[in-house]
Amino acid sequence: MSAGLDLEQRYRRVLRLLPRYYRDRWEEDMVAAFLDTWMTGDPDEDSVTMEFDRPGWREVVSVAALAVRLYLGGVGAAGRYFARGQAVRQAVLALVLVHAMVSLNALVFLTWSRRLFGLPAPPASLAATTPGGIWPSVWYTGYYAWLVVLVALVLGYRRTAWVIALLAIGPDLFWLLKGQIAGRFLTAPIGPWAFWVLLNVVPVLAMTAFHRNAPPAARRPWLLALPASYVLVAVPELVLQASGNAWLPDPSGLFCLLVTLACLVHAPRALSPRSGGSGVWSLTLVLLAAVVGAYRIASISDYRHDPHLVAVSLSELLILAVAVALVVPDAIRTQAATSAHPLLG
Amino acid sequence: MTAQAFFVLTALADGPRHGYGVVGEVADLSQGRVKLKIGGLYGVLDRLASEGLIEPDREEAHDGRLRRYYRLTRDGRRALAEEAELRAATARVVRLRLGLAGPEATG
Repeated sequence: MSAGLDLEQRYRRVLRLLPRYYRDRWEEDMVAAFLDTWMTGDPDEDSVTMEFDRPGWREVVSVAALAVRLYLGGVGAAGRYFARGQAVRQAVLALVLVHAMVSLNALVFLTWSRRLFGLPAPPASLAATTPGGIWPSVWYTGYYAWLVVLVALVLGYRRTAWVIALLAIGPDLFWLLKGQIAGRFLTAPIGPWAFWVLLNVVPVLAMTAFHRNAPPAARRPWLLALPASYVLVAVPELVLQASGNAWLPDPSGLFCLLVTLACLVHAPRALSPRSGGSGVWSLTLVLLAAVVGAYRIASISDYRHDPHLVAVSLSELLILAVAVALVVPDAIRTQAATSAHPLLG
Repeated sequence: MTAQAFFVLTALADGPRHGYGVVGEVADLSQGRVKLKIGGLYGVLDRLASEGLIEPDREEAHDGRLRRYYRLTRDGRRALAEEAELRAATARVVRLRLGLAGPEATG
């Protein structure tokens, strides 16, 4: 693949992972340092090394990790890279918040269904969905882990959050594979997998944005967001569910509506001529819209035998697209910002 | 201050060094506990330079390539001294609590 290249060129190729501004500043230094690790001073041996050796995988990983830290910038990064990093971190927190809210809902429902603290029995419309058996218990236990992930991320325990998030998405994968083998997804083959990939795997991978240069998350707002979102989203949904005859959107529809609402709330600030500082949130909402939009598109095919539900799904997508269009210009302005890197200024 | 940044600053405390020289000096200073990869090293150098703690010193040709040397700035020297004092004070407290304190720790 790299025939005709010598070791120096192979290193330069690896360094293409890094942003341009960073290569302009550091590439020559880095290449010299890389080659210094190989050179012995013996011309014959060095000549063979230059021709045949390749960058070690640990060095490639270290450059890739540096590239992630730079593209998803933290403290001291150039303006657009910092904005991109902050947007990814906020989008991850928002997705983890949704999981944590569902976990909290499951915990409350568990308490209710077991009639703890003298609670009355839940209505029949909810009792039908009460989990039972060993596997649902394991699945729910795994899901409760999202509460810990949220708190760990907000408090800055990024490695703990990442490990627990990996454990949290494991039972879902097992459940999916088990369902696939048992033929449980014959009528809806894509939606469950799309959920797992887009709302479980993607945020876990994107947690790399919480690197050591990342600024700490705003603790109080994100921790308060959990009870607030529970009261504003989960409780009304539970009440509608308990009433038994109210129409409820499916999960992807609900996510579309939530992101649409967030875009509409943020739009006045994003559209204002003095929208300084709003760009990161605009970018966050664009990222969230991309994720939930992709999930909505992927899960439409599960309704291919029901034209009404297809129409509803397309309407949700259209509304989401219109709402996100309101914040896109502000997000683009943020990406076009070229505030100088401290070293280049 | 991270351990990596602390050792990189310490490596530059007795004079300018180039990138690979810093890697070797950090490995020696930390008795092999901190092994910097080149990607990690330049991440640290970039951050220290942006914070004004180090600066380029000179460039020298070596095997047809330029090696750039870095040195501590005055702010870098002060930050390193403060960090060293902080770490020493912490170590004194730990030794005291473990009952390992020598005469210098007890004053």
